[in-house]
Amino acid sequence: MRVPLSWLRDYVDVDLTPEQLAERLTLLGMEVKGLERWGAEWHNVVVGELLAVEPHPRADRLSLTRVTVGEGEPLEIVCGATNIAAGQRVPVALPGAVLPGGRRIERTEKMGVVSNGMLCSGDELRLTADADGILILSDTAQVGTALVELHGDVVLDVDVKPNRGDALSLIGLAREVAAATGARVRWPDTDPVERGRSVADRLAVRVEAPDLCSRFVARWVSGVRVAPSPDRVQMRLLAAGVRPVSNVVDASNYVMVELGKPIHTFDAAAIHPGVDGRPTIVVRRAASGEPLETLDHVHRTLDPDTLVIADPVAALGIAGIIGGASSEVGEATTDVVVESAVFDPVAIRRTGQRYGLRSEASLRFEKGQEVRLARIGADRTARLIAEWAGGTVAPGRVDTNPSEPDRSTVTFRPARVNRLLGTELSTDEQRALLSRLGLESESAEPDDRVTVALEPQPLVVRTGADEAVTALVPTWRGDIAIEADVAEEIARVRGYDVVPSILPHTPMPGWRPLPLEVRDAIRDTLAGAGLSEVVTHALVSPRLLDGFALRQPVPSVGGEDQPGGQGIEVTNPLSRDHSVLRQGLLGSLAEVIGTNRRHGREDVAIFEVGKGYAREGDETCEWWRLGIALTGPAESAAWNQAERHWDVDDAKGIVELLCQRLGYATPRYAADPDEPILHPGRSLRATATDPTGEVQLASVVGELHPDVIERWELRTDRVVVAELALAGLAGGQMQDVRSSPPPRHPPVERDLAVVVAEDREAASVADVIGESGGDLLRSASLFDIYRGAPLAGDEKSLAHRLVFAADRTLTEDEVDEAVARIARALRERLGARLRT
Amino acid sequence: MIRRAASEEIVDLAGLTRELHALRDEAVAAARSAASTSELEELEVTLLGKKGRLTVVLRGIGALPAEDRPRVGAIANEVQAAMRAAFADGAATLRARELGERLGAEAVDVTTPARPVRRGTLHPVVETANRIAAIFGQFGFQVYEGPEVEDDTTNFRMLNIPPDHPARDLWDTLYVDVPDHLLRTHTSPGQIRVMQSARPPIRALLPGRCFRYEAVDASHASEFFQVEGLMIDQGTTLGDLKGLLDQFAQAMYGAGRRTRFRPGYYPFTEPSVAFDVECLVCGGSGCPACSRTGWMTILGAGMVHPVVLQYGGIDPERYQGFAFGMGVERIANLRYGVGDLRLYMENDLRFLEQFR
Repeated sequence: MRVPLSWLRDYVDVDLTPEQLAERLTLLGMEVKGLERWGAEWHNVVVGELLAVEPHPRADRLSLTRVTVGEGEPLEIVCGATNIAAGQRVPVALPGAVLPGGRRIERTEKMGVVSNGMLCSGDELRLTADADGILILSDTAQVGTALVELHGDVVLDVDVKPNRGDALSLIGLAREVAAATGARVRWPDTDPVERGRSVADRLAVRVEAPDLCSRFVARWVSGVRVAPSPDRVQMRLLAAGVRPVSNVVDASNYVMVELGKPIHTFDAAAIHPGVDGRPTIVVRRAASGEPLETLDHVHRTLDPDTLVIADPVAALGIAGIIGGASSEVGEATTDVVVESAVFDPVAIRRTGQRYGLRSEASLRFEKGQEVRLARIGADRTARLIAEWAGGTVAPGRVDTNPSEPDRSTVTFRPARVNRLLGTELSTDEQRALLSRLGLESESAEPDDRVTVALEPQPLVVRTGADEAVTALVPTWRGDIAIEADVAEEIARVRGYDVVPSILPHTPMPGWRPLPLEVRDAIRDTLAGAGLSEVVTHALVSPRLLDGFALRQPVPSVGGEDQPGGQGIEVTNPLSRDHSVLRQGLLGSLAEVIGTNRRHGREDVAIFEVGKGYAREGDETCEWWRLGIALTGPAESAAWNQAERHWDVDDAKGIVELLCQRLGYATPRYAADPDEPILHPGRSLRATATDPTGEVQLASVVGELHPDVIERWELRTDRVVVAELALAGLAGGQMQDVRSSPPPRHPPVERDLAVVVAEDREAASVADVIGESGGDLLRSASLFDIYRGAPLAGDEKSLAHRLVFAADRTLTEDEVDEAVARIARALRERLGARLRT
Repeated sequence: MIRRAASEEIVDLAGLTRELHALRDEAVAAARSAASTSELEELEVTLLGKKGRLTVVLRGIGALPAEDRPRVGAIANEVQAAMRAAFADGAATLRARELGERLGAEAVDVTTPARPVRRGTLHPVVETANRIAAIFGQFGFQVYEGPEVEDDTTNFRMLNIPPDHPARDLWDTLYVDVPDHLLRTHTSPGQIRVMQSARPPIRALLPGRCFRYEAVDASHASEFFQVEGLMIDQGTTLGDLKGLLDQFAQAMYGAGRRTRFRPGYYPFTEPSVAFDVECLVCGGSGCPACSRTGWMTILGAGMVHPVVLQYGGIDPERYQGFAFGMGVERIANLRYGVGDLRLYMENDLRFLEQFR
C-alpha cells in the first residue's frame, strides 16, 4: 500500500523523519518496502507568477507569457494552454530542468520567439491527471520556491500482510503509528449535510443473495456537476497510486484509500425502476451466460457463481470487483447512487480469480470488511461528492442490515504469553501495551475461557489457577481471536527486541539416522572421481520426458516407489518447457551437456542426485535416482599425456567405485541392446548385491544413441550416461565393513588364456571360472583379449590371471587340479579351449 | 724343516706373508681403479671368492710349521679384512658415482605443468543445505524429508491456510493433474509430517526442493530449495528460537554479526517473525544491497500456530514450539556472493567449478 505521508498526517501526528517512521512501522510488522521521494524528479521546477499573457505574434494557438520567478529579469515563455491568466502562480520548468520521464527542458525558439522554459501541466509533473491546462498553484505559493518544497511528499510503500486488511487504509496505518508513538488518531468528518427527499423515496435495494452480501448501504447525491477533482485531491490520489477520473469517482477511491472501504458509484439515471417506480438495485447471482460490459469496456459472459449488482432489467456490475459501463458516472450524470456493501470474501476472491480481475477493491473485500465501514464509507463518500462536485445528499441511507456487531473479547493468561515469548512482562505491562492498540482489558471472570485454538476442533480451556485477563477487541481487528494472537500483539507493540536470545534447555530427541548419509557418501565419491554435481529442474518439457524415456525403467531397490506409472502434469504451467515432472535424470543431464558444449566446453563429466515422479491412479510416487553423464576427454591431451575420451568402461568403473564405497559386490553386467535412446551395441544393465545377496544397485549404463545426440543438438560425438537406483539414496545408512586379517600365506598365480567364439561375452567366461574355481580361487581378472593368428577368424582369446590362496601353503598339485577343473568346465559349458 | 704343500710349491713364512701383502695391495689398487660396480664385483670374486686367489694362497698355511701358523693366520686375517674393506670402499664410491650419474641423467624440468588430478565439484545449493543441516545438527536437529508432490491439505489447510484464504496469494502455486495435489510451495508441510510421525521432544530439519508459479528472473525461481526447522517441547519459547538463530548466523556468516527479530506474517506461526542479519555488504551502514536499511532478511519463523499443532496431533495446551524456513539459495547468495538465482540451475560448469 502506497502511503503519502502528507495525507497520513491528516489522521495522526508524526514527529519522526520519514526514515524513522519507516523503521518504526517495519519493526511493528508493517514492513516498509520502499520510501519514495515524490517530486524528486522535478529538477529546476519553481513557482512563477504570470505577469502577462499575450497572443503569440505568429501562432494563433500559442500565448506569449512573461513570468517572474522571483529573482532576475522576468522570463518570456511560450505556452499552448488556454487556462492561464496574469496574476496566476504556475510551475515553471527553467532551462535545464528535467521532468518526470526524463524530459529535458531547454531554451528553444517557437515560431520565431525564444521561450525560456516551460509552464507545466499537472500531467507533465505527474501531479494531477490534467494534461490540457497548466497547473494553477495556490495564490499563497511563494514565488521562486522550488515546486518540490510546495508539493513534494514522501510515499511509503507498506507491505500489509493478508491478515491485516484493516491496515490497507490510511486510517488503519494511522492507528499503527499511534500504537507505536502514543499519538492520537483523528477521524475525518463523515456526516454529510442532508437535504431534500429521502433516499428511501428515491431508491429501492433488494438483496436476493444474502449469503454473499450481508449488508448493502446506499446513499443518493443529486444535482452533481461531474468534473475533474480539485488539484489537491488529484495529487493525493496519484501519490497513492490511484488514477484520478472525476470528482465523483475520485471521492469513492479517496474513501477506499482513507478508510479501506471499497465504494462504487452509479449514475442514478441508468438504474431502471422496479414495479413501484423507484430505481431499484437487485443484488443477485448472475444468470448463466448473462452478458455484461464492464467498465474496462470488455463484454463478458457471466456464470451463475458471480454476484452481480443489477437493476430489474440487467446486471450493472460484478459485485466488489468491477462496475458496468452502462451505469458509469460521466459528464452527463446529475444524480449519483453510492454503494457501500459487505460481500462474502471467499466469493469475491473466487470470482476475481475466475475472471482474472483483481482490483484494489476486490483485494480489500477478499480480506474481509469491518461491518460498520459500510455505513461510514457511504456517509463519507456522499459528503466528499457534495464537497467536490456540488449537489445535495439525500437524507438517510438504504441499509439492508443496519445491525453492527459488538466488539468481541479474548481472554489470555499473561504467564502463557511470557511462556510463548520467553519474556517476563508483567500483567500490567501487557495490558498497557494492548491498550495502545485499542484493546481495553480487565481481569478475567472465573467463567471466562481461554481460546487456545479454533481449528480443526475449538480448544477452549478454563483459566485455572493462572491469572487471566479479558480484552475487548476493536471491531477492525477481527484477526485477534486466540491467546497466541494476543501474544503477538504484545510482542510487536513492545518491540521484538524484548525477546531474549537463549539456548534451548529442554530434552533432546533420541537418536535418529541421518537420511543424507548414503547420498552424501555417493556425492563425495563421485566428486573425488572427477565428476561435478549439477541440480536441474524437476519440471521438464513433455518432449524431453518422452525423448529420454526408457523402454524399461531402472527398477527401484530397497523398497522405494517403483517408476512406470503415468506422468504427472502441471495444470497451470509457467511454460511448456517446465510442464511435466520428470521420471528420470538422463534428459536433464543431456541438456546440461548441450548447454556446456555450446559454451565451448570440451569435457563434461556430471552427476545429479534427484527424484523421478509418477502417479498410479490418484496415488503419487517419488523415487530417488543417481544420473551420470560423461562426454569429451576423460584425460585431456597435454605435453605429458595423450587425450583419452570417456567411454562405457569409465562409467562401469564409476559404478564399481560406488559398489566398493557402499560395500556391494562387483556388479554383474548384461548387454541391453533394446533401449531406443542408447547405442544398441554399447549399453548394458549393471546390478550389484550386498553381502547377503540382496540387490542394492540397479542401473542402465550406455552410450547415447547417435540419433539422440543429433536430435538434442548436444554438439558432441559420444555421450556416456548412466542412471542408477541405489538402496540408500532415499535415506539409508552406510554399512560397516566386515574385516578379516591379511592372508599369511602367499597366493599362487596362474594365467589362463581361454579361446572362445567371438560372440561369447566376457562375463560368461568369468562366471564359469568363478563357479568352477572352488574354494581356493580368490580372484580371476581378465588382463588381455587377443584376436588373430593362430586363432580362427571368429575366435578370441581371453587371458585371465587366476589367484589361488588358502590359510596354508598351497601345493602345486592342488592348484593344478583346480586349474584343470576350470578348464574342463570352460570346455564343457562354453566350448572353450585353452591356448598354451 | 721344510714341507711341501699340495701345490708342490715351497712354502715358507716370509714368502707367504709377502704373497698375502701383494694380494692385498693388488686388491686395494684394483678396488680404487674399477670403472664400474660390475667390474668391481668380478674382481672381488677373483680375489676373495670361494675359489679366489686368496683362498689359493691360504691353502699354503697348512704346509707351514705349526709354530708359524698362528702368525700367518693373524696376517691372513688382517689382509682379508683390508681387502674386504677396500672392496667395500670401492663399491661405495662407485655406487655414489653411478647414482650421481643416474640422478643427473634423470633430471626433468620441474616447472612444467602438472598432470592434473581431477576432482569434481559439489553443487553450492546442495552444499549450503547440508551446511545448514550440519549447523543445526550440532543442536540436536534431525533431518527428515517429505514428498515434493504434496496434497493440498498438508501444504495449506493443515498449515492454517484454508482454501480461498487471501494468504494463499503469498504462495503462487503450481497444481498437478492428480486430484487435490500440488507441487509443494514450501517445506512447511514437512512440519505436519514430522509431528504425525514423532512425539515431542522434536527437533527436526527438513531440506528439500520447492516449486512456485513464479516467472524466473535474477531473484525469482520456479524451483528452489528450502530448509524448514521445527522444535517442539513443553517449554520451547521464542527466546530459544532467537538464541538458535543467532548461533546459526554466527556459524554461517561469522562471529559478531548483529541480528534482529521483527514481526512477520505466516498463517502457520503465531507470533511470526522475520529474522534479519546485519547487511553482509555494508555492515549495517546502509547500501543498495540492503535497500539502505542495513539489514538483510534471511529467514521467516515463529511459534507454531496452535491450529498446526492440532493438525499434527499435538496438544497445543501442553506443547509449544517454533518453526523456521529459509531459502537455501538466499543463504548461498550471501555466503558466496552470487547475485543471480538463475546461475544455480543453469549448470554452466564455469560457474559450478568455482565451488571446489
